[in-house]
Amino acid sequence: MTKALSIQSITAHYGTTKVLEDLSLEVGEGELVSLLGASGCGKTTTLRLVAGFLQPTSGRIALGGIDLTRLPPYKRDIGLVFQNYALFPHLSVADNVGFGLKQRGVAGAEKSQRVQAMLERVGLAHLATRLPGELSGGQKQRVALARALVIEPPLLMFDEPLSNLDAKLRVDMRVEIRQLQRANGTTSVYVTHDQEEAFSISDRVAIMHAGRIMQLDTPETLYQRPANAFVARFVGFENLIPMRVVERDGAKITAEAAGGVRLTLGLEQFGAIPDSFTLACRADGLAATADAAREGIPANLGLRTYLGRAYQYQCDTAAGPLVANGPLTRPLEMGGHAKLVPVPEQCTILAPEVAA
Amino acid sequence: MTQKIHPALIGFTVVVFFFLVGPLIIVVGSALSDTTYLTFPPQGLSLRWFANIFEISAFRRTILTSLQIAFLSTFIALLLGIPAAYALNRYRIQLPGWLATLFVLPVLVPELVLGFSLLKNVAVQFNTPIFLTLVFGHSLLVLPYVVRVISASLASFDFSIEEAAISLGSPPLRTFFTILLPNVRSGVIAAFILAFITSINDVSISIFLTGPGISTLPIQLLAHMEQFFDPTVASVSVLLMALTVGVMAIVERTLGLTFLAK
Amino acid sequence: MKRFSGWTLASPATLLVVVFLVLPVVATIITTFGTAGGPLAPYLGFFGSGFRRTVLWRTVQVSFIVTAIAVIIGFITAFVISRSPGWLKSILIIAAVFPLLTGVVVRSFAWLIILGKNGILNSVLLSAGLIGEPLTMLYTQGAVIVAMVYLFVPLMILTLVGVLEGIPQDLIQASASLGAKPSATFTQVILPLAVPGLIVGAVLVFTGSFTSYATPQLLGGEQVMMMGTLMYQQAMVTFDWVAASTIAAVMVVITIAIVLAMTRIARRLNPMAV
Repeated sequence: MTKALSIQSITAHYGTTKVLEDLSLEVGEGELVSLLGASGCGKTTTLRLVAGFLQPTSGRIALGGIDLTRLPPYKRDIGLVFQNYALFPHLSVADNVGFGLKQRGVAGAEKSQRVQAMLERVGLAHLATRLPGELSGGQKQRVALARALVIEPPLLMFDEPLSNLDAKLRVDMRVEIRQLQRANGTTSVYVTHDQEEAFSISDRVAIMHAGRIMQLDTPETLYQRPANAFVARFVGFENLIPMRVVERDGAKITAEAAGGVRLTLGLEQFGAIPDSFTLACRADGLAATADAAREGIPANLGLRTYLGRAYQYQCDTAAGPLVANGPLTRPLEMGGHAKLVPVPEQCTILAPEVAA
Repeated sequence: MTQKIHPALIGFTVVVFFFLVGPLIIVVGSALSDTTYLTFPPQGLSLRWFANIFEISAFRRTILTSLQIAFLSTFIALLLGIPAAYALNRYRIQLPGWLATLFVLPVLVPELVLGFSLLKNVAVQFNTPIFLTLVFGHSLLVLPYVVRVISASLASFDFSIEEAAISLGSPPLRTFFTILLPNVRSGVIAAFILAFITSINDVSISIFLTGPGISTLPIQLLAHMEQFFDPTVASVSVLLMALTVGVMAIVERTLGLTFLAK
Repeated sequence: MKRFSGWTLASPATLLVVVFLVLPVVATIITTFGTAGGPLAPYLGFFGSGFRRTVLWRTVQVSFIVTAIAVIIGFITAFVISRSPGWLKSILIIAAVFPLLTGVVVRSFAWLIILGKNGILNSVLLSAGLIGEPLTMLYTQGAVIVAMVYLFVPLMILTLVGVLEGIPQDLIQASASLGAKPSATFTQVILPLAVPGLIVGAVLVFTGSFTSYATPQLLGGEQVMMMGTLMYQQAMVTFDWVAASTIAAVMVVITIAIVLAMTRIARRLNPMAV
C-alpha cells in the first residue's frame, strides 16, 4: 500500500522568481520526513509540487517508482492535510470523511462502515452528523486527518497542520498524528516551521533555506552535529567562532581565534579537525567562570539575564560578541571579567564551507 | 489560480461580452451619423448631433438640474451616511439591530413607490418645492450605497488607532478628520462616485417629481424619445458614457480597478 | 469619540429615512384601506380587473424569465472570469462594470435602435434574405425580456464573481487531492457553496425586473404593460391615485416578501455563516 516518494532535481518558479533550485529528496516507505524552515524557504512549494497544484520547471517526481510529474492532482492519490483544515463547510463530518471514498466509487454500506471506523479511530464518531462550522479547532483537525487517511493513500502530506491550534493541543495532536502514521505505516511528508514539532515527529528532517535543502538528517544528528553554519544557527548554536589550528599534538590541538584567543581541543571529542574550522557552541556550551586560571576566552561581562536553570551573559571578547551561561550558585557581576570555557559535549566543529 | 476551462465555456463568455458591449458601441456609432434619423452603421460622420444637444434648451436645463441634484444629494448622503456608518460599526452594541435594516430600506422599497409617495404625501401634501423633494428623494436613494461602502471600509479599520490618537491628546472631532477619514478615504471616494452615478441615472423616483418647469436629464431623454427619433438621444448617451468612463478612470487612478469587483 | 453616542451620529440619517421614506410610503399604503367603498375595495378592484391581473401575471412571468436567463448567463460567465488570469479578469470585470454604471435609459435606448422596424437587426436579417419584410420586435414581451436581461446580467456577473472568488482555493484543492475530477469538484463543492450567493443575485434581478419602469416603458409601451408602467399610468395619466397606491402596495408587499423569504433560505443554505 505505502510507497516511497522520490523527488529528483526539481526546479520551480513563480513567474520569473526561482523558488526551488535543483531539489532532490527521497522519502522511504513508511518514513516520515519533515520539511522545516522559515516562511518562503520553499517547503510549502515542494509540497504543492508533489500534490500537483504547481508544475516544476524541470525535474521529476515519482511515487513507488511511477512518474507523477504530469499527472493532474486528482489522479495522484495523495492524502493531504491542510493548514486551515479545508473542510467542506456544506458537508457533515461523515460526508467530509466519505468524500474521497465517493470519488473512488465506494458507496453504501462499505462507505459508511469505513467512515465510521475512521471516525472512531480519531475519536469523533459521536460528531458524524455535525457541520464543520460547529466543531472546535482540534476536532476540525481530526476530521481533516480522518478524511486524508480513510482513502488509504500511499503518501500522506501535512501542510503546517497544527499551526492554528493552541500550544497544549498542538503537542497532543502531534503525538496522535505520529501514532496514526506509524500504525498505518504510511509514507509521509510533514511541512512545518516549528523546530520542536519537526524534531519530535519525524524520522528525518530536511532543513530548508532559500529553495534548497541545507541538511537532511535524523533529528539527533541535526541537533548535535549540524553540517553547516546555517543549520547550526537554526538549531540554536548561538556562538560561531572561526578558528585556525596552530599546533597539533597527538590527541590534542591548539587553535587560535581572532584577537589571539587560544583554545586547546581534544580530538576524541570532536574527531578529525581541519586546519581551518568554526567552533560552534550553544550558550550552554560556553561556561562563564570567574576563575582566571582556567583556559578559556577572556571576556567582559555585559547584561546578565535569568533563565531559570542558569544565568546568561552577553559577553564582549576579542573574538567578538558571545553568549555564555553560568551557574545559578555563583552569579557574576555585570561589568566584571570572566573566562568562557568551552564544554565539549555542547560544542561542535564545522568544516569550512564551500562558497555557495 | 488559472485552470483549464472548457473551450465551449470560453466561447459562451465571448458571446456574452459581445452582448454586453455591442449595444453600447451601436449607440456611439448612431450618435456620429450625419442623418436626421437613427441608423447604424452611421452614414456619414458628423458631430452635429452633439452640438444639437446644447441648442435644445430643455437639454441645457435638465443637464444642469441633474448635475445640481446629483452633487447636492450625494453631499447630503455623505454628510448623514458617514456618521451613521461610523455609529453602526463603532457602537454596534448600543444601537438596535433594525437600524442597519432601516438604512437598506431605500433599496428594498421599490423606487417607483418611493417616488410616487414623495409626490403624493410630501410634495402635494405639504406643498414642498419640487427641486427640494427631488434632492431629498435622491439623497435617500443613494444613502444605502454610502452606508454600505463606508461600513465596508470601516470593517477593516482598527478602532484602537483612534483611541491611540485620543490618548495622545487629540480631541474627538479632530481625531475624526485626521485619523478616521484618511483611513476610509478610498471608501469615501467610492461612495461618492457610486452615489453620483446612481443619482444622475435615476428614472424611477424622478419620473414622479418632474413636470412643467423642472425635469432631470434621463426624464428629458425619455420625453425626447417619444417625439423624435433623431440621433440627439444617442449623442446624450455618449456624453453619459463619457462621464462613466471618466468616473472609472478616477476609480482606477485612486483605488485600482479591482475595487470595482468588490 | 466617547462624547458622541451612537444615536447622536446615526439620528440625522435615521430621520431622513423615517421622514422621507417610511412615513410617506406607509401613508400611501394606509390610504388604500380608508376608501369610501370599504377597507378592501381597491384591492377587490385591482384583483377583480382582468386587465390588471394580466399585468400582474405578465410582470411575474417576465421577471421570472429574466431572472432565470440572467442566472444561467451570469453563472457561466462569472465562472470563466473567476478562472481567468489576472489581466484578463480585470478587463472582463471592467467590461461588466461599464454597462452597470451606464444608465437604464441609455441601455434601453440601445435596444430601441437594434430592435426597431428600421433597426439594425431587421436590416441585417433583410439583407441576409432571412426575412421578406421587417419583423415587429419592438413593443413585444420578447423585446422587454431581452433588454432586461441586458440590464441585469452585469449585476449577476459581478455578484457571482464575488461569490466564486470567495470560495477558498484550499477547498478546491482538497477536493482534487481526494480524487475528485474537475466536474465532480464543480458539482459537489463549487456549486453547493455558490447557491446562497446565487439566490441573493437572483433576488436582486427579480425585484429589479418586477419594479422596473424605464425598460418596459420604452420597449413594451402600451402593448406590454407591466406593474411599473401601469402604476405610472394610473398616477400620472389618469390621476387615479387610489389605484396607483394599490399597485404600490402590491409591489411593496411582493418585493419585501420575496426578499425576506429568499434571504432566509440563502442564510439557511450558507454553511460558511455558521
